[in-house]
Amino acid sequence: MENDLFRTIFNETARLNIPAVVIGGLALPAYNVARLTLDIDICILVTSQDVLNQFINALKENDISTLQNPKIDQDLFTVFGKHSEAEIWLKPCDAFSWDDKMVKRIQVYIVNVHVLAIEDFILTKLARRDRSSTDIDDIIQLLIANKDNIDREYMHYRLRWMDLLSDFNEILKKSKIDFGNFN
Amino acid sequence: MEEEKRSPIHITEADVKRAYKKVEKFQRLLKRGKTKEQILNDLLRLIQGGE
Repeated sequence: MENDLFRTIFNETARLNIPAVVIGGLALPAYNVARLTLDIDICILVTSQDVLNQFINALKENDISTLQNPKIDQDLFTVFGKHSEAEIWLKPCDAFSWDDKMVKRIQVYIVNVHVLAIEDFILTKLARRDRSSTDIDDIIQLLIANKDNIDREYMHYRLRWMDLLSDFNEILKKSKIDFGNFN
Repeated sequence: MEEEKRSPIHITEADVKRAYKKVEKFQRLLKRGKTKEQILNDLLRLIQGGE
Protein backbone atom coordinates (compact mmCIF):
# COMPACT_ATOMS: atom_id res chain seq x y z
CA MET A 1 0.00 0.00 0.00
CA GLU A 2 2.98 2.24 -0.62
CA ASN A 3 1.04 4.60 -2.89
CA ASP A 4 -2.42 4.21 -1.46
CA LEU A 5 -5.17 6.76 -1.75
CA PHE A 6 -5.20 7.66 1.95
CA ARG A 7 -1.48 8.30 2.24
CA THR A 8 -1.25 10.10 -1.10
CA ILE A 9 -3.88 12.58 0.04
CA PHE A 10 -1.98 13.26 3.27
CA ASN A 11 1.36 13.48 1.46
CA GLU A 12 -0.08 16.09 -0.89
CA THR A 13 -1.72 18.14 1.86
CA ALA A 14 1.60 18.14 3.73
CA ARG A 15 3.48 19.19 0.59
CA LEU A 16 1.00 22.01 -0.08
CA ASN A 17 0.92 23.04 3.58
CA ILE A 18 -2.82 22.37 3.86
CA PRO A 19 -4.00 21.38 7.34
CA ALA A 20 -5.73 17.99 7.07
CA VAL A 21 -7.25 15.52 9.53
CA VAL A 22 -8.85 12.09 9.34
CA ILE A 23 -12.43 12.19 10.56
CA GLY A 24 -15.09 9.50 10.89
CA GLY A 25 -14.44 5.86 11.77
CA LEU A 26 -10.80 5.83 10.67
CA ALA A 27 -9.96 8.48 13.28
CA LEU A 28 -11.28 6.38 16.17
CA PRO A 29 -8.09 4.32 16.79
CA ALA A 30 -6.24 7.58 17.49
CA TYR A 31 -8.40 7.73 20.62
CA ASN A 32 -8.32 4.04 21.61
CA VAL A 33 -11.56 3.01 19.92
CA ALA A 34 -12.06 0.96 16.76
CA ARG A 35 -14.87 -0.30 14.60
CA LEU A 36 -15.15 -1.55 11.07
CA THR A 37 -15.65 1.15 8.50
CA LEU A 38 -15.56 1.25 4.72
CA ASP A 39 -15.30 5.03 4.46
CA ILE A 40 -12.29 7.28 4.14
CA ASP A 41 -13.23 10.74 5.37
CA ILE A 42 -10.59 13.43 5.35
CA CYS A 43 -11.13 17.06 6.23
CA ILE A 44 -8.89 19.77 4.82
CA LEU A 45 -8.64 23.46 5.58
CA VAL A 46 -8.36 25.51 2.42
CA THR A 47 -8.97 29.23 2.46
CA SER A 48 -9.10 29.96 -1.26
CA GLN A 49 -10.34 28.38 -4.47
CA ASP A 50 -6.80 28.68 -5.77
CA VAL A 51 -5.39 26.41 -3.06
CA LEU A 52 -8.26 23.97 -3.52
CA ASN A 53 -7.49 23.81 -7.25
CA GLN A 54 -3.81 23.21 -6.50
CA PHE A 55 -4.78 20.31 -4.24
CA ILE A 56 -7.10 18.80 -6.85
CA ASN A 57 -4.41 19.11 -9.54
CA ALA A 58 -1.85 17.51 -7.22
CA LEU A 59 -4.18 14.57 -6.69
CA LYS A 60 -4.78 14.32 -10.43
CA GLU A 61 -1.03 13.93 -10.96
CA ASN A 62 -1.28 10.92 -8.63
CA ASP A 63 -4.16 9.37 -10.62
CA ILE A 64 -6.71 10.48 -8.06
CA SER A 65 -9.61 12.29 -9.64
CA THR A 66 -12.98 13.77 -8.88
CA LEU A 67 -16.04 13.83 -11.12
CA GLN A 68 -17.17 17.03 -9.47
CA ASN A 69 -15.96 20.56 -9.87
CA PRO A 70 -15.29 21.31 -6.19
CA LYS A 71 -15.88 24.82 -4.96
CA ILE A 72 -14.56 26.37 -1.79
CA ASP A 73 -18.06 26.87 -0.33
CA GLN A 74 -19.09 23.20 -0.65
CA ASP A 75 -19.20 20.86 2.35
CA LEU A 76 -17.43 17.98 0.61
CA PHE A 77 -16.52 16.22 -2.60
CA THR A 78 -15.49 12.69 -3.52
CA VAL A 79 -12.17 11.62 -5.00
CA PHE A 80 -11.48 8.26 -6.64
CA GLY A 81 -8.29 6.19 -6.61
CA LYS A 82 -7.76 2.93 -8.46
CA HIS A 83 -9.78 0.74 -6.10
CA SER A 84 -11.30 3.04 -3.51
CA GLU A 85 -12.68 6.46 -2.91
CA ALA A 86 -12.46 9.13 -0.23
CA GLU A 87 -14.70 11.95 0.84
CA ILE A 88 -12.83 15.21 1.16
CA TRP A 89 -14.58 17.52 3.59
CA LEU A 90 -13.96 21.26 3.56
CA LYS A 91 -15.37 21.60 7.08
CA PRO A 92 -15.02 19.18 10.02
CA CYS A 93 -18.77 18.60 10.24
CA ASP A 94 -21.81 19.58 8.20
CA ALA A 95 -22.95 21.66 11.18
CA PHE A 96 -19.83 23.79 11.74
CA SER A 97 -16.70 25.12 10.07
CA TRP A 98 -13.05 25.30 11.01
CA ASP A 99 -11.85 27.92 13.47
CA ASP A 100 -8.42 28.85 14.84
CA LYS A 101 -8.89 27.02 18.14
CA MET A 102 -9.70 23.81 16.29
CA VAL A 103 -6.67 24.11 14.03
CA LYS A 104 -4.31 24.80 16.93
CA ARG A 105 -5.51 21.67 18.73
CA ILE A 106 -4.94 19.26 15.83
CA GLN A 107 -3.10 16.14 17.04
CA VAL A 108 -0.60 13.84 15.38
CA TYR A 109 -2.10 10.40 14.67
CA ILE A 110 0.77 8.69 12.85
CA VAL A 111 3.57 10.17 10.76
CA ASN A 112 2.12 12.75 8.38
CA VAL A 113 -1.46 11.99 9.44
CA HIS A 114 -3.43 14.10 11.90
CA VAL A 115 -6.72 14.10 13.79
CA LEU A 116 -8.87 16.69 15.52
CA ALA A 117 -8.52 17.07 19.28
CA ILE A 118 -10.70 14.56 21.12
CA GLU A 119 -13.16 17.29 22.17
CA ASP A 120 -13.61 18.54 18.60
CA PHE A 121 -13.80 14.98 17.29
CA ILE A 122 -16.62 14.19 19.74
CA LEU A 123 -18.36 17.36 18.59
CA THR A 124 -18.23 16.28 14.93
CA LYS A 125 -20.22 13.20 15.92
CA LEU A 126 -22.66 14.90 18.25
CA ALA A 127 -23.38 17.84 15.94
CA ARG A 128 -23.97 15.92 12.70
CA ARG A 129 -27.32 16.75 11.13
CA ASP A 130 -27.85 13.07 10.27
CA ARG A 131 -26.47 11.84 13.60
CA SER A 132 -26.98 8.08 13.91
CA SER A 133 -26.86 5.46 16.66
CA THR A 134 -23.33 4.63 15.43
CA ASP A 135 -22.25 8.19 16.25
CA ILE A 136 -23.72 7.87 19.73
CA ASP A 137 -21.98 4.48 20.21
CA ASP A 138 -18.71 6.07 19.10
CA ILE A 139 -19.15 8.94 21.55
CA ILE A 140 -19.83 6.57 24.46
CA GLN A 141 -16.69 4.58 23.67
CA LEU A 142 -14.63 7.73 23.19
CA LEU A 143 -15.79 8.98 26.58
CA ILE A 144 -15.04 5.66 28.30
CA ALA A 145 -11.59 5.42 26.73
CA ASN A 146 -10.59 9.07 27.14
CA LYS A 147 -12.55 10.55 30.03
CA ASP A 148 -9.41 11.38 32.02
CA ASN A 149 -7.77 13.10 29.07
CA ILE A 150 -10.60 15.34 27.94
CA ASP A 151 -10.09 19.07 28.45
CA ARG A 152 -13.35 19.68 30.28
CA GLU A 153 -13.26 23.44 29.95
CA TYR A 154 -12.73 23.23 26.19
CA MET A 155 -15.34 20.47 25.81
CA HIS A 156 -17.82 22.64 27.70
CA TYR A 157 -17.00 25.62 25.51
CA ARG A 158 -17.56 23.61 22.35
CA LEU A 159 -20.83 22.09 23.55
CA ARG A 160 -22.19 25.51 24.44
CA TRP A 161 -20.94 26.87 21.12
CA MET A 162 -23.09 24.32 19.26
CA ASP A 163 -25.89 24.34 21.83
CA LEU A 164 -25.30 20.65 22.50
CA LEU A 165 -24.67 20.69 26.23
CA SER A 166 -27.99 19.04 27.05
CA ASP A 167 -27.43 16.28 24.45
CA PHE A 168 -23.98 15.61 25.89
CA ASN A 169 -25.33 15.50 29.44
CA GLU A 170 -28.04 13.13 28.33
CA ILE A 171 -25.39 10.76 26.98
CA LEU A 172 -23.47 11.01 30.26
CA LYS A 173 -26.62 10.35 32.26
CA LYS A 174 -27.87 7.43 30.19
CA SER A 175 -24.47 5.79 29.90
CA LYS A 176 -23.68 6.40 33.58
CA ILE A 177 -20.16 7.48 32.72
CA ASP A 178 -18.55 9.16 35.71
CA PHE A 179 -17.61 12.52 34.27
CA GLY A 180 -18.32 14.53 37.41
CA ASN A 181 -20.53 17.58 37.41
CA PHE A 182 -20.71 18.86 33.84
CA ASN A 183 -23.40 21.50 33.56
CA MET B 1 -27.14 29.52 13.84
CA GLU B 2 -29.92 27.65 12.07
CA GLU B 3 -32.07 25.37 14.17
CA GLU B 4 -30.90 21.75 14.11
CA LYS B 5 -33.22 18.76 14.29
CA ARG B 6 -31.06 15.80 15.18
CA SER B 7 -32.41 12.43 16.10
CA PRO B 8 -33.05 11.90 19.82
CA ILE B 9 -30.47 10.10 21.93
CA HIS B 10 -31.49 6.54 22.67
CA ILE B 11 -29.10 4.49 24.79
CA THR B 12 -29.85 1.14 26.42
CA GLU B 13 -27.94 -0.66 29.18
CA ALA B 14 -26.84 -3.21 26.58
CA ASP B 15 -25.36 -0.40 24.46
CA VAL B 16 -23.27 0.77 27.40
CA LYS B 17 -22.11 -2.76 28.29
CA ARG B 18 -21.12 -3.33 24.69
CA ALA B 19 -19.21 -0.04 24.64
CA TYR B 20 -17.17 -0.99 27.73
CA LYS B 21 -16.41 -4.40 26.21
CA LYS B 22 -15.24 -2.83 22.95
CA VAL B 23 -12.96 -0.41 24.78
CA GLU B 24 -11.53 -3.34 26.77
CA LYS B 25 -10.95 -5.27 23.53
CA PHE B 26 -9.03 -2.34 22.08
CA GLN B 27 -6.89 -2.13 25.23
CA ARG B 28 -6.16 -5.86 24.93
CA LEU B 29 -4.99 -5.32 21.35
CA LEU B 30 -2.58 -2.64 22.55
CA LYS B 31 -1.35 -4.85 25.40
CA ARG B 32 -0.66 -7.62 22.90
CA GLY B 33 1.64 -5.20 21.11
CA LYS B 34 -0.61 -4.03 18.31
CA THR B 35 -0.04 -0.33 17.59
CA LYS B 36 -2.60 2.27 16.58
CA GLU B 37 -0.78 2.54 13.26
CA GLN B 38 -1.18 -1.20 12.66
CA ILE B 39 -4.88 -0.99 13.49
CA LEU B 40 -5.30 1.94 11.10
CA ASN B 41 -3.37 0.02 8.41
CA ASP B 42 -5.60 -3.03 8.91
CA LEU B 43 -8.68 -0.87 8.36
CA LEU B 44 -7.10 0.81 5.33
CA ARG B 45 -6.16 -2.57 3.83
CA LEU B 46 -9.79 -3.60 4.14
CA ILE B 47 -11.02 -0.42 2.47
CA GLN B 48 -8.33 0.05 -0.16
CA GLY B 49 -7.55 -3.57 -0.98
CA GLY B 50 -4.34 -3.85 -2.94
CA GLU B 51 -4.21 -0.22 -3.97
